[in-house]
Amino acid sequence: MFELGPILSRAFQTLQSWVIAHGVPALGAWILAKSIQVGVVVLGVSLIPMVLVYAERKVSAFMQARLGPMNVGPYGILQTLADGIKLIFKEDVIPVGSDRIMHIMAPMVVVAPVFICFAPLPFGKGLVPIDLDIGVLFIFAISGVSTIGVLMAGWGSGNKFSMLGGLRGAAQLVSYEIPRVLSVVPVLMFYGTQSLNGIALAQQGRWYGIIPKWFIFYPVIGQIAFLIFLIASVAETNRTPFDIPEAESELVAGFHTEFSGLKFALFFLAEYAYVFVSSAMAVALFLGGDDGFSAAGIIPSWLWFLGKTFVMVFLFLWFRWTFPRLRVDRLMQFCWQFLLPWSIANIAFAGLAVLLIK
Amino acid sequence: MNLEQLLPTVVFALMAGLLIALALVVVTSRSVFRSAIALTGALGVVAGLFALMGADFVAAGQLLIYVGGIMIIMLFVIMLSQRPMAKADRQTNDQWLWGALFALAVTCGLIVQFRAVYRGIFSTTVSMPTTVSIGRLLLGDMVVPFEAVSLVLLAALVGAVYFGLDYEKPQ
Repeated sequence: MFELGPILSRAFQTLQSWVIAHGVPALGAWILAKSIQVGVVVLGVSLIPMVLVYAERKVSAFMQARLGPMNVGPYGILQTLADGIKLIFKEDVIPVGSDRIMHIMAPMVVVAPVFICFAPLPFGKGLVPIDLDIGVLFIFAISGVSTIGVLMAGWGSGNKFSMLGGLRGAAQLVSYEIPRVLSVVPVLMFYGTQSLNGIALAQQGRWYGIIPKWFIFYPVIGQIAFLIFLIASVAETNRTPFDIPEAESELVAGFHTEFSGLKFALFFLAEYAYVFVSSAMAVALFLGGDDGFSAAGIIPSWLWFLGKTFVMVFLFLWFRWTFPRLRVDRLMQFCWQFLLPWSIANIAFAGLAVLLIK
Repeated sequence: MNLEQLLPTVVFALMAGLLIALALVVVTSRSVFRSAIALTGALGVVAGLFALMGADFVAAGQLLIYVGGIMIIMLFVIMLSQRPMAKADRQTNDQWLWGALFALAVTCGLIVQFRAVYRGIFSTTVSMPTTVSIGRLLLGDMVVPFEAVSLVLLAALVGAVYFGLDYEKPQ
């Protein structure tokens, strides 16, 4: 009923034919079309963190029985905008003892991959920016590049707190990447594709007419995979209880201690955009993507997808304000001695199940 | 040459130039950390070259393993063992001229050899997914080499654990 996909694609085709009719060559029209698509995604990625920062401040405030931002706009909804403007006008400090090039490049390296990560996400029917065949692997591969930026920030600041934060970040991100990738393998084994859109589409339908065929409802395998993916995703986004790379009370602010103004804002943009990407991946892989319950499609598919994603985002925020921080050695122990064996065992279970079913 | 053929060529030329520039930074930069970062960039550009040739799975694998894995461990080691503002040594010694000449000779030899097998520039703008065929090859025709490689890697892992064991501490 309110599906965005067909409307947008019709508007897009009208625009494209209008441009071609006015004498732009086909390749030019193609480049223009791609530029518009990229522009929409980049704009979306820049807006999402603003919403999430506001959500985080409000959620944390309500969990601690306070009001949170209230003064800028009704219920403080313009607070993030005000913060953004403040950060733009702040002085950009580059410390004397820093490695200048690394210091300048670090926020860029952290932020640039985020925009690319949004490309294969299936936002709804006809709303997949690029339906990549290697979608899942693509997101894992690209988001790994941001870790390099964390290391560059840690090194380039020329500060021992940043250095420690960078070191911790490298150890943690590399370790948790492994169970995170392995936890997704059962999903790929069941559906036989790596395309996020294909996986989301394969989860439509109901068992006994009630239980949705989402992967999380596959007995045992689905729940183990989802839990490992969730825990590893929280760790990958550097959030409490896994925020030792930027632990405020131990390391000032870890790898982004020496960054101010817009560079600092870029680190935060990347963090919140990754929270959204991880939630969207969890929805597409485990929670049926845009599959919903509304009769006759009154609630459109993109709204289902966004709704589920924001439920997942809320889970991320909830974790942050509920659990205390883990110690460094406990953190590593948890990853290598608990998550990794269970994710490998889960792959074995999934292999057995696939073998028995087929 | 029309525009559609021109675009991949231009992209290829840009990436090749960037790759060579980054490789030069790797061997000339005085800071070990900057060298490692340039190497990371070079490996990322190689992933881009794979993607340009339509090898999507290999490109993602290159990024995931080299940039997201090996290089991070390397940077980790550099951060543990070096100091950020330590006086950096120069990367060359008195014999740099002979080394450069040797490298030039090797480059010329490689160019001559590659020209013999060169069969025109890739032409695909629409690439086909390669994951399925790679999977079939790895678990079909290539299963013996694949398993042999995994065995070698397993042996390396066991060796690493053996050398990493701390015998001094009572269990």
